[in-house]
Amino acid sequence: MTAPQAALVTLLLGALLLQALLPSRRVLVVTGGAALACLASTLLGVATTQRLLAEVPWDVLVILVTLGLLSQLLAASRLFDRLAVAATRLSGAEPFRVLLVFSIAMYLVSGVVNNLTALVLVLPVLHVLLRLMGTRQRYVSWLLGLLLVACNLGGAATPIGDFPAILLLGRGSMTFGGYLSRAAPATFFALAVLLLVVRVVVRPAAGVPRDPVSARLTRAAVEALHRRVRVDRRLLVPAAASLAAMVVAWLFLPAELGVGPELVCWLGAGAALLMARRHGERLARTGLDIEAVLFLLSLFVMVAAVRGTGLFEEISRSLERLPVAPSLQLVAFLVLAGVLTGLFSAGPSMAALLDVAESLAQRLPGPAVYVGLALSVCAGSSLFLTAATSGPLAQALTERADLRDVDGRPIRFGFFDFLPAGLLSFAVIQAVAIAYALLAVWAAR
Amino acid sequence: MALPPALGQAFRMVAAELGMRSAARLFLRELMGEGGAPLVREARDKLGREFPVLDFVAEQWLSGRAEAPLDPAGVLDALRGVTRLLVVGLEADALDVLVPRLSGVEAGLVTDAGGLDPDFRRVLANYDGLMEPVGLSELHRWAGRRSALLTFVYGTDGHAAHVSPSWLRVSGPDVRTQFRSLIGWDILGQPMTVYPRWMVETCAGDFSCLVGPAPPAPEAAAGAGQPRAPAPAREAT
Repeated sequence: MTAPQAALVTLLLGALLLQALLPSRRVLVVTGGAALACLASTLLGVATTQRLLAEVPWDVLVILVTLGLLSQLLAASRLFDRLAVAATRLSGAEPFRVLLVFSIAMYLVSGVVNNLTALVLVLPVLHVLLRLMGTRQRYVSWLLGLLLVACNLGGAATPIGDFPAILLLGRGSMTFGGYLSRAAPATFFALAVLLLVVRVVVRPAAGVPRDPVSARLTRAAVEALHRRVRVDRRLLVPAAASLAAMVVAWLFLPAELGVGPELVCWLGAGAALLMARRHGERLARTGLDIEAVLFLLSLFVMVAAVRGTGLFEEISRSLERLPVAPSLQLVAFLVLAGVLTGLFSAGPSMAALLDVAESLAQRLPGPAVYVGLALSVCAGSSLFLTAATSGPLAQALTERADLRDVDGRPIRFGFFDFLPAGLLSFAVIQAVAIAYALLAVWAAR
Repeated sequence: MALPPALGQAFRMVAAELGMRSAARLFLRELMGEGGAPLVREARDKLGREFPVLDFVAEQWLSGRAEAPLDPAGVLDALRGVTRLLVVGLEADALDVLVPRLSGVEAGLVTDAGGLDPDFRRVLANYDGLMEPVGLSELHRWAGRRSALLTFVYGTDGHAAHVSPSWLRVSGPDVRTQFRSLIGWDILGQPMTVYPRWMVETCAGDFSCLVGPAPPAPEAAAGAGQPRAPAPAREAT
C-alpha cells in the first residue's frame, strides 16, 4: 500500500468509525473528514479539491433530495395515517397478525417513500396499538425489529426506495425496470422466509394477552383516534400523479433521449410541488433533508479521494486473483459488503464498494452483482440497530412513547433488544442475496 | 368474561387524545357491547377511582339515568361576536359538534397536555385545519376584544368547578383581562362522586359564562335525585 493510499484510507475508515461511535456528531465528523481528505489529497498530489467535487455523483443527490420532498408531500396528505388505520383493521388487533400486516405494509410503503418518513408516520399508530392491546417486551422487540427489517427490504425492492438502489439507478448500473423486476421478488421472498421463520420458530406473540374484549376496544379506539382524519386530495393527487408519471418515464423513456432518472425526478417532484401550491413552496423552502445531503456529499468526496489513489482497482484485482471460481469471488464480495454495512451503515459501504462491484460486473452478469450487492447491503443494514438511520429513530420514538407491558414495566427498544431480530434477518437476507447471485450467474450461462 | 389486563393503560392513552368523558363513553360502549352491564360494573370497580369521569359515566349508565346531551347551542350563544376562540383542554365529542359550527371564528387548541401526553398532530388532524395548535407562549397573539377562552367543566356545584390543569396555567389574572369571555362548558351536568383525579378545582365565578347541558327530562331528573346543574348559558359574572 502506498503512502497516499494508507493516509486516505485511514482517514476514510477513521471518519466512518468515529461517526458510528458518535452518531450524534456524525454529520460534523464526516464533513470534517471530507475536508481533511481534500487537504490530504491535494498535498499528496492525488487530486485537487475541484477534481474530487467534480467526481461527486450530483445526479444521485438530486434523486435523493427530490424523492425526499415527494415523500413529505405524500406524508402531508395523511395517506399513511389512513393506511395505518386500515392495517389495524386488517390485523384485527391479534398479535401475530399485527406483526404480519404492519411488516408487509412497511415493506410496501418503504418501496415508495424513504424509511424515515415511513417510520415517523406509521410508528405512532403502532405505539397506540401496543398500548391498547397490552404487550410484552419480547413481542415489542421482535415486532419493531421486523418492522425495521421490512423497511430495509422495501427500500431495496425498488430503485427509488433507499440510497443503495438510488445509487445504482443514478450511476446507470441498472435500468429502473431491470432492477425492479429482479429486486422486488427477491426482497419479498426474503421477507416471506423471515416471517415464516419468526412464526414457526421464534413465536414472539406467545405470552401476549389476547382476548375479544381487548381486540374490540383496540379497534374501536384506533378508529376513534382517527375518526375524522381524511386524506387530503389536494396534496395526494399531485404527488401520486407525479410519481406515476415518473415511474412511466423511468420504465419507457428511451435511453438515447438522454433524459436520465435524475432529470425525471427533478421534473416530477417539481411539478408535484408546483401543483401543491402554497404547501409545495413551503416544502421546497424548508423540507430539504440537508443532513442526508451533507452526509452523503462528504462520503462521496472521501471515497473519491481513495479512488484517486487506485486502491479500489487493487482490491478488485485481489478479488480476481482469489484462487476460486468467479462466482465464489462474488460470494466473498457479497459477504464482505454485508458485514461492512453492518459496521459502517449502507451509505458509506455502498459508496465504497460500488467501484469494486463495477469491476466484478465486467466478468459476471451485472444483475447478479448489483442486485446481490443491494441485497447484501440490506442484510448489513438489518444486522445492528445502528446500521441504518431508521434504527436510532425507531429507538427514540419508542422511548418517547413510554410503552409499558401488561404488568406496568417499561418497555425498551435498544441495541440488544433488536439484536436477535437483527442476527436472524442478516442471516436470511444474506443467504437470499448469495442464492440470488449464484442463480443469476447460473442462469446467464 | 374478564377485563383486559392493560385496560387502565389503554384508557389513559385514549383519554389523553379524546378527553376523559369521550374516552369513557367509548370504552363503556364497547364493554357494554361485549359483556353487558356486568363488564361495565367490573370496569368501574377496577378503574373508577383512578378515572373519576369514567366512574361517573359508568354510574349513570348502570343506573339507567339519562346522559346530559352535548348541545353546542349554549356555547355558540356565548360566542356571539367572538372572532377568535382558544380551547383549553380536550373533549373530542364536544369539539366534534362545536368546531364545524364555528363559522367566521378562528379556533385554536392550546397544546398543553395537563399531565397527559397526547399526539396533538393526530388530535388536530381530525379537524382538518379548522383548529390550529397554540403553544402557551403564543397566548398573547390570540388575545383581544373579540377573543374568548373555552374549557370543559367536569361538573360543578355552583361554587367550585373541576377543569383540566391546563386551565389554571392559561387563565391567570394577567391573561383573564385580555379576553372578552372565559367560557366553561359543563359536559357532565353534575359533580363527580369520587375524588376528581386528573382535574383541578377552580371557582365557578371565574367564568364569564358557564354553559351547562340541556336539563334532563323530568322523569330522568327525578331519578337523579336533585342535581345542581347550572342553567344553560348562565352568565356567572
